[in-house]
Amino acid sequence: MREKDVNLPCRIFAILVMLFLLAPLVVIVIASFTPTALITFPPQGFSLKWYANIFGSSTHFMDGLVNSLKIGILATAADILLGVTAALSVCRYSFKGKDALLNYYTSPMYVPSVAFAFVLLQVYSQIGGVPGMLRIFIGHLIIILPYIVRNTVSVLHVFNWTLEDAATSMGATPIQVFFKITIPLARPGIMAGALLAFLYSFDEVALSSLLSTPRFITLPIRIMNYMELTFDPTLAAISTLLILASLVLIVLMEKFVGLDMFVK
Amino acid sequence: MATLELQGLTKRFGEFTAVDSMNLKAAEGEMIALLGGSGCGKTTTLRMIAGFTEPTAGQILVDGKNVSTIPPYRRNIGIFFQNYALFPHMTVFENVAFGLKLQKLPKNEIRERVEHMLALVKLTGMDKRYPRQLSGGQQQRVALARALVTRPSILLLDEPLSNLDAKLRVEMQVEIKRIQKELGITTIIVTHDHEEAVSLADRVIVMNAGHILQIGKPQEVFDRPASPFIADFMGFSTFLHGIAAGAEGDMRLIRCGAHTLQVPAEAAQELTEGDACILAIRSENIRTAEQEGVNTVRGTVKSATYKGHTTRLEVSGCFEEMVYPAIHEYADVQEGSEVLLHFPAQHFCVYKDIK
Repeated sequence: MREKDVNLPCRIFAILVMLFLLAPLVVIVIASFTPTALITFPPQGFSLKWYANIFGSSTHFMDGLVNSLKIGILATAADILLGVTAALSVCRYSFKGKDALLNYYTSPMYVPSVAFAFVLLQVYSQIGGVPGMLRIFIGHLIIILPYIVRNTVSVLHVFNWTLEDAATSMGATPIQVFFKITIPLARPGIMAGALLAFLYSFDEVALSSLLSTPRFITLPIRIMNYMELTFDPTLAAISTLLILASLVLIVLMEKFVGLDMFVK
Repeated sequence: MATLELQGLTKRFGEFTAVDSMNLKAAEGEMIALLGGSGCGKTTTLRMIAGFTEPTAGQILVDGKNVSTIPPYRRNIGIFFQNYALFPHMTVFENVAFGLKLQKLPKNEIRERVEHMLALVKLTGMDKRYPRQLSGGQQQRVALARALVTRPSILLLDEPLSNLDAKLRVEMQVEIKRIQKELGITTIIVTHDHEEAVSLADRVIVMNAGHILQIGKPQEVFDRPASPFIADFMGFSTFLHGIAAGAEGDMRLIRCGAHTLQVPAEAAQELTEGDACILAIRSENIRTAEQEGVNTVRGTVKSATYKGHTTRLEVSGCFEEMVYPAIHEYADVQEGSEVLLHFPAQHFCVYKDIK
């Protein structure tokens, strides 16, 4: 039997760690309702004007949000295709150099994104005239791929391939087997990977800041630029909204992964 | 219902020959067991019949038609997989209906056929459960229903009973046999368990290293294995080396060490005097004897293991080889004690020692 009661010092330590993690977030959320132009804590009064400012045209946050969503959704969608096929290639067949290939697929995780952005920048300037959106899209396409490959592999690793034989023997063509058996059973892994990949893309700064053009700027870069010029509670307000959005996504992810479809 | 014929079926993986020109003919409604240890080629044979593995050479004929080039999803062969391979994301109903839905049958016909099948395997009312909510035995019945619902021409069973506990095994043995006879479907069972093979099949095929060693009715293979190797595989425990030494009436004499044993002459037809030979006998056919007589030998008990309805002994000193009787009387048998064993002549299998 495990002990149910944790001793007091342990408890206090755990609570302190949690406070340490949570406190900045709480401060930001509360500060976002400050009526004054300077961030003060605790705020003197209550106002939603900084929230209104986010949606105003002067900040361009909404353009940034649209751009970030475009990049995030497109790159994630394209990487689901690439990542799932890549994961299948290393899980389904046994061949020499299989592990090396998997490491190759996930290598963008280990390469510093600044170094990677620098190389891409060189390539773009050689070609010339690459539109801003495509510049960032290609970068994100590569750096978020590992998340989808890894999560899909972790599901396929324990996949019972006999299920495919079983479906085949009942008259399912290879394509029917793929869409009725393999994909539905791998879905929790694919979804978890896709959500992580999307969040990473949505949040990405280093690569995007080097690759973006004045005409195509993502939300994190927009926020950074804003911060350099003005330091008002608009930043706290948009941070609060982003925290909220992340929370929603995490809850969704829990729901998908928590389904445990593949546990017998 | 269909006939199944394998003609010179061969599978090589590189240098390794998994199945070597195998020939076999299964009549309509016949149940045949492929019996052998791991790596004997039985599973490869099954996978070739199913179409998952392409033969290197030879033909597979169903109802006289060569199906070797037909892809597995158009062969109409029902397969029962060792680990059941139920789709975990589908209910019992959806699992069984899977093949029928692919055939695009009308909804009410699908429902009718699934329900009929579930009734046949005694799972009525379980249709909304998921496989993980079922016991091992129930999962197995779903797998069987799913393999049969598309009315396949051939049914393949891969180690159908190996995952079940002893009590369920007996139950499912009866069940599988009942359903197979009821539907009259030609069936191939792959197994490494000789009891499973002889209790289910109409004919047993013993395989080793890609070859067929023996084909026969269950009793033939069980009582008269064609070689010491098969005898060992069929559960014979005691093997004695001896030399043929003349005859006495309708009995042949075999000298084993210091003793001379009698065996029926018809069991030792291929022996001439002076031939080295091997005698094999099952544990349960060796008895204890009250007094000396024909085929009785004295020995010392090395160990006695209580097994419930029998006690298994290790006895030395009878011959050069150890002897393993399984006796019903436990009372006066202890480690170190002396026993008088009787080896009934009719239970000996006699083989020429080819070495």
